[in-house]
Amino acid sequence: MTEMPKENVDGNVLKELASIVGEKSATSAKHIRYAYSYDLSFVSRKNPDYVVMPESVEQVQAVMKFANQEKIPVVPYTAGTNIGGLCIPERGGILLDLKRMNKIIAIDAESHYAVIEPGVSHAQLATELYKHNLRWSWPVGPPSASVSSNAISHGIGGLSGRYGLNSEEITSMEVVLPTGELVRVGSCAIQENAWHSCLPLPRMDGLFTGWLGTSGVVTKIGVRVHPIPPVLKVFTVSADNIEDMSAYMFNLGNYEICDDLTGVSWWLAQVPIPYPYKPKPDDAPEWFSFGTTFSWTEKEKEAREEIWEMVVASEIEKGSSLKKTVYPEEALKARTELPSQIVGSTKNYTKQAGGGISWPGTFTPLKAWGPVYNDWKKILINHNLSPSVRVTNYRGVHYGMLRAMIPFNKKSPEETENARHAIVECLKVDLDHGGIPYKPPVDFAREINQRAHPGYLSLLKQVKKMLDPNDIMNPGKFGI
Amino acid sequence: MNWDIPSLEELEDIVWKCTACGNCKVAYKFGPPPSFGEICPAGVEFGFDGNMASKGKIAFARGILDGELEWTEEFVEAIYKCTVCAGCQNQCELDHKPFIPEIIEAMRRKAVKDGAGPMPTQKVIAQSMRSFNNPYQGPRRVRTEWTRPFKKVKKPIKNIMKEPAPILFYVGCTGAYNAPARVIPTATASVFQKMGLDFGILGENEICCGSTAMRLGDADEFIRVAEQNLESFKKLHEEQGVNTIVTSCAGCYRAIKKDYKLSDEYESVLNGIEVIHTTDLLYRYFKEGKLNFTKELPWKVTYHDPCHTGRHLNDFNIDKDGSVQWKGSYLGKEEAQCLYDVPREMLKAIPGIQFTEMERIRDNSYCCGGGGGVMTGFGDWAAKNAGYRIQEGMMTGAEKMVSICPFCHYNLNEGAKRVNSDMRLYDLVELLDMVTEDQG
Repeated sequence: MTEMPKENVDGNVLKELASIVGEKSATSAKHIRYAYSYDLSFVSRKNPDYVVMPESVEQVQAVMKFANQEKIPVVPYTAGTNIGGLCIPERGGILLDLKRMNKIIAIDAESHYAVIEPGVSHAQLATELYKHNLRWSWPVGPPSASVSSNAISHGIGGLSGRYGLNSEEITSMEVVLPTGELVRVGSCAIQENAWHSCLPLPRMDGLFTGWLGTSGVVTKIGVRVHPIPPVLKVFTVSADNIEDMSAYMFNLGNYEICDDLTGVSWWLAQVPIPYPYKPKPDDAPEWFSFGTTFSWTEKEKEAREEIWEMVVASEIEKGSSLKKTVYPEEALKARTELPSQIVGSTKNYTKQAGGGISWPGTFTPLKAWGPVYNDWKKILINHNLSPSVRVTNYRGVHYGMLRAMIPFNKKSPEETENARHAIVECLKVDLDHGGIPYKPPVDFAREINQRAHPGYLSLLKQVKKMLDPNDIMNPGKFGI
Repeated sequence: MNWDIPSLEELEDIVWKCTACGNCKVAYKFGPPPSFGEICPAGVEFGFDGNMASKGKIAFARGILDGELEWTEEFVEAIYKCTVCAGCQNQCELDHKPFIPEIIEAMRRKAVKDGAGPMPTQKVIAQSMRSFNNPYQGPRRVRTEWTRPFKKVKKPIKNIMKEPAPILFYVGCTGAYNAPARVIPTATASVFQKMGLDFGILGENEICCGSTAMRLGDADEFIRVAEQNLESFKKLHEEQGVNTIVTSCAGCYRAIKKDYKLSDEYESVLNGIEVIHTTDLLYRYFKEGKLNFTKELPWKVTYHDPCHTGRHLNDFNIDKDGSVQWKGSYLGKEEAQCLYDVPREMLKAIPGIQFTEMERIRDNSYCCGGGGGVMTGFGDWAAKNAGYRIQEGMMTGAEKMVSICPFCHYNLNEGAKRVNSDMRLYDLVELLDMVTEDQG
């Protein structure tokens, strides 16, 4: 856990920032800074020293040049809705609120990509894409959250079973480096208006994805979008244990017919997650799964159903506890009607606890789901927390998501700390089984670094130094 | 009378129900088709997260409660830079949802109690309330100026203190004192007379409902006038036969219907009295065939839902004893009291009217910008915001905008001037007056 940085507000710095973005868009007022000092997670509150709201790429460049010259930290921010404290300033500095850069620059309805600014929300893009019968892999997040931030942070969505992570859907990027230099990666780097693909150029988009806002400020991004087939079918099953559930998801995932293939533990299926922990009724299955499919025709849907029936039959034949089940209508809506205010508010997750939600959120091989879950369950119950776990296949079967949504009472420092301890313990187990946390808070980053190959850390530092020589971009997030 | 008006400290547990998810920042509905729009006037104007929606206001509340934020001029201003329109509340799904306007007003009450609030320009209102019983610094005799035309044509309006009548027309301060808004009580009384309704007004004895004081956090002043009004209503019921209180003012309607309920004597005092908005009352007569439109009005119009006759009248279902989900959980909302369909149905029934909708309507209506004390505290911003709403109306192809609130009436017309638009805001009752003749 990191502590509140020492306040370092300088009137001359504010004056300079105001000269760049305008007086109304730069402030050091404490009440405004306070509002950016926390998020949903257990990460402790820390104020930025200044908040600025640029409206153009030129303004972003000018802020970065000034900050780099003065060696002032800069934290990029769009909506602040991640569950990893990623926008909480570890070392104060300038919080760069990008919400006013919110233009949808282009939607290429023929070639299926969109070019947007970082402040474009899921609600905004969904509304415009729908006019072309197009969609994005909408995450289980608030509709006000940023599409760009989700993509560059390796966020996932309702199409991740088919297309993988949202970062895999990036087609081009324009980025302001910590030095203020403007760069482009992908096709838009070669032809200004070509935003269709990062390939076949060197994958320099990787310099800005998964870097937790520490390598640059993405000012425009191209993303692949997809048509909306009209026929929806959701396959729902239950199982008595994680082993049977992951065997089923392995089996069905092999056919690659689902947009989203997810399993949830009984505790996560409750509305809300029980807080504190309560035992599952003995006669209730421990796992539920939904596999979402969209088809163009009834025949296509039937073909998918045929595969699913075959998979279920083969699992049952193996002696699995798998059963076809009916998933509550409201829960299904929450999984298929995205973006959603209900799931976006984390209503299902946090309501009973009070304000706090964090996770051990990981990418973990499907083979490790069973042993990790069983350990997590023990750890969480020991902390009087529900083992509210989700598993999801990403584009096939070689890996997927394994995470536990852990609500806690944020008003109580003791209960917050209890959740943090449990989550970090869970994380250690997952790391030891080959899993990797995503959107990690600093506590997680330290655990990763302890296990990392020295060459990985060395390269990370070298690349960071190259892009950000004065270590001003969201410093401290990698725990290095 | 005892009043259950909570302090910020009493709301602390509820404040902590907010996860800071940010759902509240934009209006959104899945549809299909999905719809998206800006919903927070303060967010649009000021932009910083603290200023924006309930997420920002809850941050302020947390900062006050944990002692981190102390009153400064700028901070006081920030808590009054909110129209308390409840647009953010409409997006929220968590357990503090029903209390969001209450939390914002509780911060203001704390500011007033601590001697820090309201804003200097709003303090004039508070003083006016104490001196004149209205927020406009208007002498009592001016309150009835709008009735002069009725006297001139020898159709005087009954003074209900002197003559009994079953219907009290509670005019409200804005309709009485705000010159451009006087067309609203005038049209209301005209329609009532054409229908032959037996109604009266309190005239110079009417005092403010207290809505403005409540919105600014001046609970003492609100209680003072609210108690006087409740006593007055009771007396009128017992002595003058009043069984209906009708008002054309959305603010008064919200105050009497909702804020007065915070009194432990509300039910007993208003027993036998129905409180109703003019639009709703006229709708009833319209449905019964007692209000007929005999003239044509060839206007292209759109309709603006006032916050106070719309989402402010939501009834929130809360699991009070934990028998459904858990104690204090938000279960859902009921919109039966919200006047969404009634004004639309009446508008569409007027011969010649071409009706068209804006994008942000009903529960996701975009506030005119005049509420929550903003018109007096930040007049320039209020008019600027109203200009945005007028532009949204113009985009529909409509020539006029219609609403049912004198605050919206005044502010949206100011907004139209600001964006040099020919569009004007009319109260629905003005239109009804135009197309109605004596119903006898």
